[in-house]
Amino acid sequence: MPKIALSVNSQPVSHDVEGRLLLVDFIREVLGLTGTHVGCDTSQCGACVVHVNGQPVKSCTLLAVQADGADVTTIEGVSPDQGLNPLQQAFHEKHGLQCGFCTPGMVMTAMALIEDNPDPSDADIRHGLEGNICRCTGYQNIVEAVRTGAKVMRG
Amino acid sequence: MQDFEYQKPKTVTEAGDAFNAQSDGSFLAGGQTLIPVLKQGLAMPSGLIDLAGIEDLQGITATESTLTVGAMTTHARVAASPEVQKAIPALAGLAGGIGDPQVRNRGTLGGSLANNDPSADYPAAVLALSAVVVTDKRRIPADGFFTGMFETALDEGELITDVEFPVAERAAYAKFPNPASRYAVAGVFVARVDGAVRVAVTGAGPGVFRAAEMEAALDKDFQADALEGIAVSEADLIADIHASAGYRAHLIGVMAGRAVDAANANVGAA
Amino acid sequence: MTDVTIGQPVRRSEDERFLTGRGRYIDDINLEGQARAVVLRSVYAHACIKNIDASGALAMEGVLLVVTGEDWIAEGFGPMPTKTAIRKNRDGSELSEPPRHCLAIGRVRYVGEPVALVVAETDPIARDALDLIDVDYESLDAVTDAVEALAPDAPQLWDDIPGNLCIDFELGDREGVEKAFAEADHVITLDLENNRVTAVPIEPRGCVGSYDPETDTYLLYNSTQNVHAIRDTLAENVFGIDKEKIRHIAPDVGGGFGVKNSAYPEPPLVLYAAKKLGRPVKWINNRSESFLSDTHGRDQISKVELALDGDGTFRALRTDTIGNLGAYCATIGPFTPTGGSARTQGGPYDFPVMYYRGRAVFINTGPMDPYRGAGRPEATFQTERIIEYAARQLGLDPIEIRRKNLMRPEKLPHKTSMGLNIDCGDFPKVFERTLKLADPGSFAERAEQIKTAGRRFGFAIAPYLECTGGGPKEFAGVAFGADGTVSLSVGSQSTGMGHETSMAQLLAARLGIPFERVEYHQADTDKTPIGGGHGGSRGMELGGNAVAQAAGEVIEKASGLAAHLLQSKAADLTFEGGSFKDSGSGASVSMVEVIEASFDSERLPDDLEPGCLDTGSTFERGEISIPNGCHAAAVEVDPKTGAILLLGYWVVDDFGTIINPLLADGQVMGGVAQGIGQVLTENIVFDDSGQLITGSLMDYGLPRADGVPDMVIEYYEGAPTKKNPLGVKGAGEAGCVGSLPAVVNAVLDALKEFGVVHIDIPLTSEKVWRAVQDQGAHDPKGLIEGAL
Repeated sequence: MPKIALSVNSQPVSHDVEGRLLLVDFIREVLGLTGTHVGCDTSQCGACVVHVNGQPVKSCTLLAVQADGADVTTIEGVSPDQGLNPLQQAFHEKHGLQCGFCTPGMVMTAMALIEDNPDPSDADIRHGLEGNICRCTGYQNIVEAVRTGAKVMRG
Repeated sequence: MQDFEYQKPKTVTEAGDAFNAQSDGSFLAGGQTLIPVLKQGLAMPSGLIDLAGIEDLQGITATESTLTVGAMTTHARVAASPEVQKAIPALAGLAGGIGDPQVRNRGTLGGSLANNDPSADYPAAVLALSAVVVTDKRRIPADGFFTGMFETALDEGELITDVEFPVAERAAYAKFPNPASRYAVAGVFVARVDGAVRVAVTGAGPGVFRAAEMEAALDKDFQADALEGIAVSEADLIADIHASAGYRAHLIGVMAGRAVDAANANVGAA
Repeated sequence: MTDVTIGQPVRRSEDERFLTGRGRYIDDINLEGQARAVVLRSVYAHACIKNIDASGALAMEGVLLVVTGEDWIAEGFGPMPTKTAIRKNRDGSELSEPPRHCLAIGRVRYVGEPVALVVAETDPIARDALDLIDVDYESLDAVTDAVEALAPDAPQLWDDIPGNLCIDFELGDREGVEKAFAEADHVITLDLENNRVTAVPIEPRGCVGSYDPETDTYLLYNSTQNVHAIRDTLAENVFGIDKEKIRHIAPDVGGGFGVKNSAYPEPPLVLYAAKKLGRPVKWINNRSESFLSDTHGRDQISKVELALDGDGTFRALRTDTIGNLGAYCATIGPFTPTGGSARTQGGPYDFPVMYYRGRAVFINTGPMDPYRGAGRPEATFQTERIIEYAARQLGLDPIEIRRKNLMRPEKLPHKTSMGLNIDCGDFPKVFERTLKLADPGSFAERAEQIKTAGRRFGFAIAPYLECTGGGPKEFAGVAFGADGTVSLSVGSQSTGMGHETSMAQLLAARLGIPFERVEYHQADTDKTPIGGGHGGSRGMELGGNAVAQAAGEVIEKASGLAAHLLQSKAADLTFEGGSFKDSGSGASVSMVEVIEASFDSERLPDDLEPGCLDTGSTFERGEISIPNGCHAAAVEVDPKTGAILLLGYWVVDDFGTIINPLLADGQVMGGVAQGIGQVLTENIVFDDSGQLITGSLMDYGLPRADGVPDMVIEYYEGAPTKKNPLGVKGAGEAGCVGSLPAVVNAVLDALKEFGVVHIDIPLTSEKVWRAVQDQGAHDPKGLIEGAL
C-alpha cells in the first residue's frame, strides 16, 4: 500500500492508503474533515473542491496518492478559529447560500478566483463558477457575495 | 473502483519500464477522464503509472515558427501562458474553454490526445494546425495520429512527450457546447499555416476530421461567406439525445463561419 | 428588548457552520460499529424475478447480510401506502393503488427498483458484492409512454389494474364549459407537454439507522423533509409497531425541493438490517443511483382549450391532462396531475367557468412525486401558454389580452370553478408594476442591435396564481432555560430556507427578546409531538403561525407573572416593545426580566413553578393561502443555432406578510432558476425499453452560474390576507410557478417573425433551430388524441 505524506491545512499528515482511494474520501473519512462534500459522480458539481498546491481542483477526481507531497487546503483550512473570513462574511451578508451543501466548494473556488483576478467582473465570476453547481440560490447572491468579498479583500 | 498498483516514475524511460512491467497498465496524466472511468468500473488496470513527476513532460517553448507544449501541461497553463497567447492565441482560447476551471487545473494536453474523445477540443487544434505529436519513440504527424473513436496511432506503452504546433497566420476555434457536459456538440478549428488552410471538426463525428470542401473554399478566399452552400454530409455524423446528425451538420457550417470571422479579427475565440 | 423585527432581512444563524464546513449532513454522521448498505437495483424496466442467488455475495469476506423480496415478505412487513388526498375517480369509485413494498416482490417494474439490500463492513465491499448476486430475470414488455400505457394492447404493470389507469379525476363545471364553448366566438386548442425532470438537490439521499434491543426502539437519521409522516409510515404501515418506537431525525439537509418528502424503501430496509445485525447501518446514494431512485416530477401531456370572444374576453377554460406516475403511486403521486394541477387552473384571470380532467397512469419507470410546485407550475404553464397561443392565432396583443382578463380586486373574494377561494390580491396592479419594472420598451434599441447581429429579441410577461398546501397542522414548542436560552422546537422543516433564522426572528420579535437567545430545533420526532415537515410552501404559513401562536401563549402566561411582579392586575397590563406596562401606575417590566423571574422561586407566586412560561402550541390552518404575482423575461435567441440567452428577469410577488425579505428573495431566485432549468436544459429521458438515458449530470443539464440572469424582485404588500394570523402567503414554490411560461413565451416572442407558435419544452437549441427551419409548421393536435 503506498504511503503518502502531505500537508493538509498546514498540518503534516502521513498515511498508508490504497491506490484507488479518492482524495475526497481521504479528506472526509481518513482525516475526518467533512466540510468537503460529494454531490455527484461525474466531476460536475464542484461540492468537493479543495486547493492542491494553491489551485482549486475537484477532489473526487484526484487520487489521494496523487496528492503525495502536496499542500492541500480544505474549507476548514481557510476558516478562522472563530467567525468568518472576509469572503465567507460576504456570503453571509449577501445570502449567498441556502442549504449549504455546495457552499464549501463554492467558497474554495471563489477564493482562488479572487486571488487570480482581484477585481472580477460579474461575467468573470459567473464563468469562474462554471464548475460549481448550486440548486438552491439561483447564483445571483453568490455572484454578489464574490464581488463584495473581492472588494473587501482588495482593501 | 478496483484497486491497482501505483507508481510515480521520474523519467520517461522509468515510465516505459513501469508500464511494461504491468499486466494491464495505464498511464495517468491529469486523470480528469481516467478517474471517472475507473469510478464507473469501465476499466480495471493492474497498475497506474503517474506521469506528473516527469519534468521532461512539462514546459512550453516558442520559436518563430513552432510552439512546443509538453504533454503534461495543464489546460489552465496553456490558457494562461504568455507564450501561447502570443504565438497561437486560438490555442490558449481553446484550452480556456475545456471543461471548467477545476478540470483545467488538472487535465493535460497529452492526456486529451491519447484518449481521443470524439467530443474533445484539442484534437481539432492538433489536426487543423497540422501539429506533430512527439512520443518517446517517434514523431507522428497529426494526419496520422487520430485513427478512430478513442483510438490513436500510439503503440502500447508509447508515451506522448510533446506536441509541436506550427505557428499559424490565422487561427480560431468556435465551439457549440452541450449544455450538460460542456463537451463540443460541434467544434471547428480553422487555421491557415504557410498559406494552406485546414479545417478540423470535433464533437460531431466518431472522431475529429477535416472538412475538405471547406478547406478548398477557404484556400481561395479566407472569408466566412466563402463557406456558403458548403455542407458537411450528415451521413457519418453522430446522433444522440442532445443533437441529431442533421443538426450537427448544420452547426459545423455555422461554427466554421464563426471561426473564420474570429480568425480574421485576430481573436483566438472559442 | 429585541433586536429584530418581522420584515427585517436578518442574516442567518446557520451560515457560520455551513460556510466553515461544520454543517452536519447525513454522510457526516457515523455511528460506532456501523456497517454499510448498498441496494441492488433492477436492470430491467419490466421483468419477472425467477430466482435470486446471493450465495456468491454472502461468501465474500466482509459481507454481513443480503435481504431479498422473499425475505422481506416472509417477515410480514407491509407496503408503503400512498397518502394522496385525491382518491376519487369521476364515477365515484376509488383510485387503483398497487402495493408498494420496500423490495420488488417477484417482479420488477422499473429500472432501479430495489431488488436486494446488501450490507457489508465497508461501502466498497458492499458494492463489489452486488456483482456477485445472481438475479435470474425473465424480461417482459415495458411501456414508458402514458398514452401507449392506456391503450388496450399495452403491457399491463399490475394484474388487477386494467389499462394501467390509477385515477381518472375531474373538477369544475363540465356542462357549463361545454355551453360556453358552444357559444364563444373562438375556441383555441393547444396540446402541450410538461417534461419530466428531477429535483437534484446537490446532497444525495442517505440514512443511518440503529436499533436498541433493550428498549426495542429504532433511531433513524435521514436526509428527509418529513420526519413525522415518514416515521408514521414506517412504524404503522411497514413494521406494524407503535410509532413511539422509532425516533426519526433529519440532520442538516442539503436541499429537498419535494424529492426528499417521499417515503422511500431504503430507510426501512436499513432499520431492518440494523436490528438483524445488531449494528448500526449506513446507506448513502451516489448521484447515478439518485437519478434512478429519486422520485421524478412533472411529466404531463395536456390538451388545453380556451373559449373566448372576438374582443379577447375569456369565456371558458378546459384542460385534459394525462400524467405519468411511474410504476407505483409513490407518496402522493396521483395528486400532482389531478388535484394538484387542477386547483390553480385559470390563474388570476376571470374565467366564468372552467373544467379540468386529469388521469394518472402507471408506466415502467421510477415513481413520480411532487417537485417544487406540485402541479401548480404545470397549471400556470397550461393557462399562460394557451393565452399566448390564442393571442398569436387571433392577432391579439399578448399583453393586452392579459390585462383585459385579469380578475379585478372588486371581484374578490371569489371562489373559482376549481373550488379555490381567492380571498385577496390585486392582480392588475401587480401586472402593471411588473411591466413597468421590466420596461420592455426600453429594449427597443438593444433589440435592433440584436437583430443586426442576426439574433432576435423576445419578451413575455406571465402572471401567476399560486396556492399553498402541505399538512394543515403544525406544532411549536417554547421552553425557557434558567441560563437565558429559549428553546424553540417546530414541526416544520428547513432544508435550506433558513428557518433557524426566520423562526427565531419571529419568536424573538414577538416576545421582545434578543434574537441570539433563541435556539432552534426541527426535524426530530422526539422534539415535537406532531410535525408536517416541509412541502407546499408551508414553512411560514404553518410553522411560522405555530410559532406566533406559541409566542402569544407565552405572552399570556408571562402577563400573569408580570402582573404579580408589578403588583398589578394582568388585565391592566399592555405588552409593547418587549415590556409589560401598567397603564395606570406606569410601572413596567420587560419580558426578559419576567423570564428571569420565572426561575426565581423568591419572585414567583405560590401557584407557579420554574418553567411556568413553557408552552406547546398546535396551529391549525383554516384555508390555504393564495400567493400570486407576475414574472417577466427578456431573451435573445440565435435562429442560426437555436441558442437562447436570458437578458433580464423581473418578478413582483404578493406573499402577504414577509417575515424575512432576504430569505424570500432567495426562495424566488432558486425557484426561477429551477424553472429556467426545466424549460431550457433539463430533461429526463428513457429509451423504449425503459432504460434511463439521462442518468448523470453529463446528460442532465442543470443551470450553472453563467446560465441564470440577474433578477429584479419586488414585493406587493397591499393585499393582506386574513386566512392566517400572520397574513402569510407561502412563498417557497412561486419561483417555479411563474418561470416556465415567462421564459417559453419570451422565446416564442423572439421567434414570431419566423412563424413559430409553439415548441414543447425543453427548448433545446436543436428544437428551436428546427422550429425556425420549419417556419413554425406546428400541428396543434395529437398528443392526447389516442387516449381520449
